[in-house]
Amino acid sequence: MFTNKKEIILNINRIIFSSLDIREVYETMSKELLKVIDFDRLSVTLITEDNNLYETFVLSKDYAYTELKEGVQYPMEGSLMKRVVQFRQPVIVEDTSKGRFLTDPVLYKEGIHSRLGYPLEHKGRVIGSVNFGSKRKDYYSKKHITFFSQIAPQLAMAIENTRLFNGIKEAEEKYRTVIESSPDIIFECTKDGEFLLMSPSVEKITGYAANQFYENRGYGLSLCHEEDQERVQREILQVLKGQNDSLMDIEFRILHKQGHVVWLSLEMLPMKQNKDIVGIEGFCRDITERKKLDELKDNLVRDVTHELKTPVAKIEMAIDMFERSVTLGDKVSLGRGSQIHEILRNNVNRLKNSIKNILDISKLESGVEPLKLSDISIADLVKQIVFEQKDSASTKNNVLTHQLPAGIPIIKADRDMIYHLINHLVNNAIKFTEHGKIIISARVLSDAVEVTVEDTGRGLDEKTRERVFEKFYKEMPSAFGSGIGLAICKNIVQKHKGRIWVESEGKGKGSRFKFTLPMIVDTKQKVTTNPK
Amino acid sequence: MKELLIVEDDLEMQEFYKDMLEGEPFTVTIVSNAEEGQKKIKEKIYNLVILDILMDGVTGDRFFALLRRDSRYKEVPVIMASALDEKTYRCFQALGNVSFLEKPFNKERLLSEISMRFGSKK
Ligand SMILES: Nc1ncnc2c1ncn2[C@@H]1O[C@H](COP(=O)(O)OP(=O)(O)O)[C@@H](O)[C@H]1O
Repeated sequence: MFTNKKEIILNINRIIFSSLDIREVYETMSKELLKVIDFDRLSVTLITEDNNLYETFVLSKDYAYTELKEGVQYPMEGSLMKRVVQFRQPVIVEDTSKGRFLTDPVLYKEGIHSRLGYPLEHKGRVIGSVNFGSKRKDYYSKKHITFFSQIAPQLAMAIENTRLFNGIKEAEEKYRTVIESSPDIIFECTKDGEFLLMSPSVEKITGYAANQFYENRGYGLSLCHEEDQERVQREILQVLKGQNDSLMDIEFRILHKQGHVVWLSLEMLPMKQNKDIVGIEGFCRDITERKKLDELKDNLVRDVTHELKTPVAKIEMAIDMFERSVTLGDKVSLGRGSQIHEILRNNVNRLKNSIKNILDISKLESGVEPLKLSDISIADLVKQIVFEQKDSASTKNNVLTHQLPAGIPIIKADRDMIYHLINHLVNNAIKFTEHGKIIISARVLSDAVEVTVEDTGRGLDEKTRERVFEKFYKEMPSAFGSGIGLAICKNIVQKHKGRIWVESEGKGKGSRFKFTLPMIVDTKQKVTTNPK
Repeated sequence: MKELLIVEDDLEMQEFYKDMLEGEPFTVTIVSNAEEGQKKIKEKIYNLVILDILMDGVTGDRFFALLRRDSRYKEVPVIMASALDEKTYRCFQALGNVSFLEKPFNKERLLSEISMRFGSKK
């Protein structure tokens, strides 16, 4: 029976690697195998990823009917397979009528009386088994095992390869459908501007078909609005030069085939081969609607600003004019006139201040003004404010100082906003303190810088502490100010992802306004400290 | 005598200008819109132009851009006046020789701006 054994083994191994179609491999292989090991039923079962189920992968064709069908998953528990996997050993069932495994009675009914299960191992892991079934009782023996041991490793490897190949094919398929159905433009482009990939959605967004991109080098850039072209080109070059490893995000305009402007946001990453940058891959989204909305918001804020500020400006100028005409005329003594003049001036100033605050908070809340982040030194800012406010503090006999430990790090924040924030807290402290002390201090926490503005002034009771950050809240409604200042402060801090709160032991016991600003860790730094 | 052109559509603002500039040693011409302004600049070359940024119809910034296209007005100093803050005007700096005057302003502020800008050739 095993005469030309070597030849058959060689032959089978050749078959195994001849194709990535496992069905084809299986069919040719089973014919060859039949020459040396007799069987009536042959199946390959593979373990599913969670190790609890197994799946009959292929099954002998001429075997007409079976309960253990192809493509169905069965529980591992109590099966021959489980035993094979557990012991990494071939297992022989001499007589299925004894019902040693749960599958035995099923196969017995179908006429299979003895079985051989052989483990398929790949890279030290059992991935499944090959199962022979014979109508003869007590058919399989050691010699079958020895023979098959020369085929099993190759078969396991071939199966793994096929699985891998199918996996890649599936992923590619998925990727293609994603690209083809995506409303956004997905593209890949070489250093020389040649498009390797351009999703069909480009036609809907730009009016030009993907083909035109494939056929013309650097086609994308020529669609760019002339005012944005230079900037886009510069950013792309930066990515190509490897100066920007992280995801770049830029917004720019292009001209649609029909002539109208389309706003796009482009995210791009360098495409690498080994370590060299060979191109970019990018993702473009049509943001025209959002831009229109932004513009609307901008215009609204601008118009409202103009509407509120212009009449106040004119009142102020009228007061000025009035003042000059009275002094020029000089016949009338100023007396009562100066009193009226004083009232007008004060209230115009108050109105101006309120309008400014209301506009500031609405700009912050509507987000029309984005954060302008730069590297700022909290310590320098505090020193500057102390210097500028010293005189104003001393008019109320207050001493204004700072306490700054060494090593307060530079953080990324909007300088103007943080200046406004600290300045307002100091203004408030001066406003509500007499013959006292005001100290601005800072300290470094694990991931943030904490700034405190402390005064020895009027303090706040619990009710006020809870409400001071609300818009328009004032403890005494007659107090000068619109009660928006702290709401603006809160908004600024929140925009920077920090926290703001107030501490006070109570009325007359001074107060401490505190806020934190997170230290934004550089992404590169993160990689080195956290090698995950 | 130096010639000053003011383009301002707000009649009350025009009154302020007249009041503040009365008796100053230069001639002041005030027009109410950009179209009239266009006519005026075709007639002669003014030494300084004050523009309200937000006007109905052709806005001050459009007028400014048109002004700079006229070869005789390439260098003429311009003051842009507005109740909006300075940020709104920054983009006009590219057009050259322009400064910003925030409303409200008083007589002193206006006169100092004018005298600084008269004959300023950047
Ligand atoms: N340092 C302080 N000490 C005591 N009370 C304060 C202090 N700072 C703020 N407050 C209280 O919070 C209220 C609201 O402050 P804020 O929002 O800054 O108003 P505004 O914009 O009018 O300055 C103040 O009217 C006052 O009652």
